[in-house]
Amino acid sequence: MDYIPATEKDIKEMLNLVGVSSINDLVREFIPAFRGKLNLPQPKSELELLGHMKGLAHTNKVLRCFIGAGAYNHYIPSAVSHLLARGDLYTGYTPYQAEMSQGTLQAIYEFQSFICLLTGMDVANASLYEGASALAEAALLSCSYTGRDHIFVKEGLHPQYLEVLQTYCEGSELTVTDKIDDKTACVIAQNPDFYGNIENMHYLAEQAHSAGALFTTCIIEPTSLAILEPPGKYGADIVAGEGQSFGIPLSFGGPYLGFIAVKDFLLKKLPGRICGMTTDSKGNRGFVLTFQAREQHIRRERATSNITTNQALMALAATIYLALMGRTGLTRVAKLSYARAHLLNGKLEKVGFRNLNIKPFYNEFVVKVPGSAEALTSRLLKKGILGGVNLAEDSLLICCTEMNSVQDIDDFVSAVAGD
Amino acid sequence: MKIIFEHEEENNTGHLQEEEDVSIELPSDIVRKEPLPIPNVNEVDVVRHYTNLSRMNFGVDIGFYPLGSCTMKYNPKVNEDAARAEGFSNLHPLSPEECTQGSLKLMWELKEYLKDITGMDDFSLQPSAGAQSELLGVMIAKAHFRSKGEKRTKAIIPDSAHGTNPATASICKLETITIPSDSRGNMDIGRYKELLSPEVALVMLTNPNTLGLFDENTTEISHLAHKNGTLMYCDGANMNALLGITRPGDQGFDMIHLNLHKTFSTPHGGGGPGAGVLGVKSFLAEYLPIPQVVKRDSRYSLDYASKKSVGRVRSFYGNFGMHVRAYSYIHSWGTQIRKVSEHAVLNANYLQGLLKDTFDLAYDRRCAHEFVLSSRRFGEKSALNIAKRLMDYGFHPPTIYFPLIVPEALMIEPTETESKETLDRFVLALKKIASELKEHPEIVKQAPLSTPVGRLDEVAAARRPNLRWRPSQRQTKVE
Repeated sequence: MDYIPATEKDIKEMLNLVGVSSINDLVREFIPAFRGKLNLPQPKSELELLGHMKGLAHTNKVLRCFIGAGAYNHYIPSAVSHLLARGDLYTGYTPYQAEMSQGTLQAIYEFQSFICLLTGMDVANASLYEGASALAEAALLSCSYTGRDHIFVKEGLHPQYLEVLQTYCEGSELTVTDKIDDKTACVIAQNPDFYGNIENMHYLAEQAHSAGALFTTCIIEPTSLAILEPPGKYGADIVAGEGQSFGIPLSFGGPYLGFIAVKDFLLKKLPGRICGMTTDSKGNRGFVLTFQAREQHIRRERATSNITTNQALMALAATIYLALMGRTGLTRVAKLSYARAHLLNGKLEKVGFRNLNIKPFYNEFVVKVPGSAEALTSRLLKKGILGGVNLAEDSLLICCTEMNSVQDIDDFVSAVAGD
Repeated sequence: MKIIFEHEEENNTGHLQEEEDVSIELPSDIVRKEPLPIPNVNEVDVVRHYTNLSRMNFGVDIGFYPLGSCTMKYNPKVNEDAARAEGFSNLHPLSPEECTQGSLKLMWELKEYLKDITGMDDFSLQPSAGAQSELLGVMIAKAHFRSKGEKRTKAIIPDSAHGTNPATASICKLETITIPSDSRGNMDIGRYKELLSPEVALVMLTNPNTLGLFDENTTEISHLAHKNGTLMYCDGANMNALLGITRPGDQGFDMIHLNLHKTFSTPHGGGGPGAGVLGVKSFLAEYLPIPQVVKRDSRYSLDYASKKSVGRVRSFYGNFGMHVRAYSYIHSWGTQIRKVSEHAVLNANYLQGLLKDTFDLAYDRRCAHEFVLSSRRFGEKSALNIAKRLMDYGFHPPTIYFPLIVPEALMIEPTETESKETLDRFVLALKKIASELKEHPEIVKQAPLSTPVGRLDEVAAARRPNLRWRPSQRQTKVE
């Protein structure tokens, strides 16, 4: 496929104006030559290309999914992908020119609003890359605000999130510690945690605040917010996490949707884009990017973060998803996810599994399996079921959503109760 | 337009069945006490709402979008179909390797192609965007010097670099040494030689730089850096000028990041997702994030073994959906990929040639894939006014007031996917605006007149921030 419209005649006229006799002469005037040969595949027509791509996709196997652990298999209403496929939305870029980008800007404003309404926070940004780096940005923000450099992480944080946090802390010369004291910039706790446990967060928030630290809640399964107390109510200063559950496909781990929301007093420290409402020359409502003086293209080495490109289209997907599902739909997602997980847990307990959760759980739970977890998941795999994440030799992290039908759950149980 | 929250409460129950026997048994101190404060809107109204929003937007699919430094080229539709294939889009990232061979093969091959194109020895596909690649690059540089027992605390960055470069250095606690540009738009090599010291960890060079100029001293800069033990980092955001023509790895760069959403045509999505990928020379490969995709015999797997890895910069393996699109794009061009950059450079030089007398050219020499004009002869705020007036002629404006070193800057990047006819129409519009500025400046100052909203008050937005909808502001002013 060739996406270049210039004809031979055009090229000749353009070269004439530029004053060179060939394109090669033009580039050779100022770019040193690569004289080798690129070892790339042969060019493909669209027909061949699509065949090749679908062939690769077919090599993957998509099974009945009982895995969560940071990526959740929720139902995506058809209208989401149809709206996202509109070229006027997905082929634009960051709305630097507001008058031509009101669609993107209003959608960002709506996204920021949805995040605030769900979390009970005051202000959210336009998105970050994904949950783990969003959490790392929350840590950097906390250190910058408090002037302290220690980060306390409560046990139960998603292990990949902890790794990312450690990488960022190493780069920025901050320390992840296991005690809360007068050096602590922020206390981080995931809720529900990696094992599905729902914690009463009030006491942790109090502990953080009495040490003069900020309290950050990390939310990786945000459908839980439909039934759980919003973090803004229990004293969170920052909420950072992952929005993939809201209408974004699993897509082998990305692109997903990082979000961050804060209380008003942290607004000027927020990383990334923020959209605000304003008026135009005739007094009509409109939207613009605002507080840009925090950002790298203006502030350079004094910026609050280096983020530029974010996940705008994923934020749009989440916005459309939340608008489509509404209060009723999202509450059903949460209730069904909760119910299916508890149904499966109950049935597994009847066939000799033991639940290891120390607190009430939402839609993920840990079970001690009778034999080896690995043998169990490979047995499930043979039945076309992704049975969970092996945490240890004999324990398994299992997730359910509204996508796991009662039939799926029965199949899961009969596959593991065979012997 | 209403905001979605201003729609009246409607029936909205269709996406999932109500199930009678679902009960939640959770302690009262952890559950939500008030009903979820988000509206119920019927599907047809949601679809109309976002369809109407999309009509208030501008994208490459609508018209010319010469936003300098962002490479707003056409995004082939077939790549969208490829990424939406069930086997890619519904694959859980923690599926066992026997279920993910197609994805892993794609990622492994994409790395091979990128190695070849840039002249690097290894790649990480993990970073989510260029800025995250930079962060990773600086972390790798720090790890490299730590393992050699050296503490280097400074980064050399020319004033023509992207703002992310100094922002990244600062996050990693490196002090930025800014080097001015010389009269030809290169990094001032004299100043560079003076300021290059044993404390300098890395030189971060955007090449071609944000003036659209290929630094004529690249090889010498690298040579001097290496003699000093300093690493060379290439901000490869402007790789669209170089595909198949030259390889940064051959000019002494030790690391390079690419923006797949620029050079490799993955859509910009209204601000993202992008994908940054980081290429390194072999002596830095052990520091790349884990996991890395590896191939043993004909099996692909994820390797977590590297002991010296700086760690992870995000969850899972990167913006895989973007990897699919970039891979598909590379396959469509294959061995002919050089044509992309040849035409990007030709289009830019053609436009520059047609416009350099109407405006002031920041540096009068051959440009690469983009160039920077100054409208200073038309006075203060002229770049802003020209940008707004261009909208009335149906074009997206260029990047304005960037790079910061050019007054009243208009940074124009046409890309290779624009026809001569489009470029000619753009020139005509700019020349017309130039004469309007002389004869009817008030028209230009009032622009835009044809967009869904008029010129927006950015000062008011910052002074009285309204950053989210609150139930109390229901039905404010709706036209």
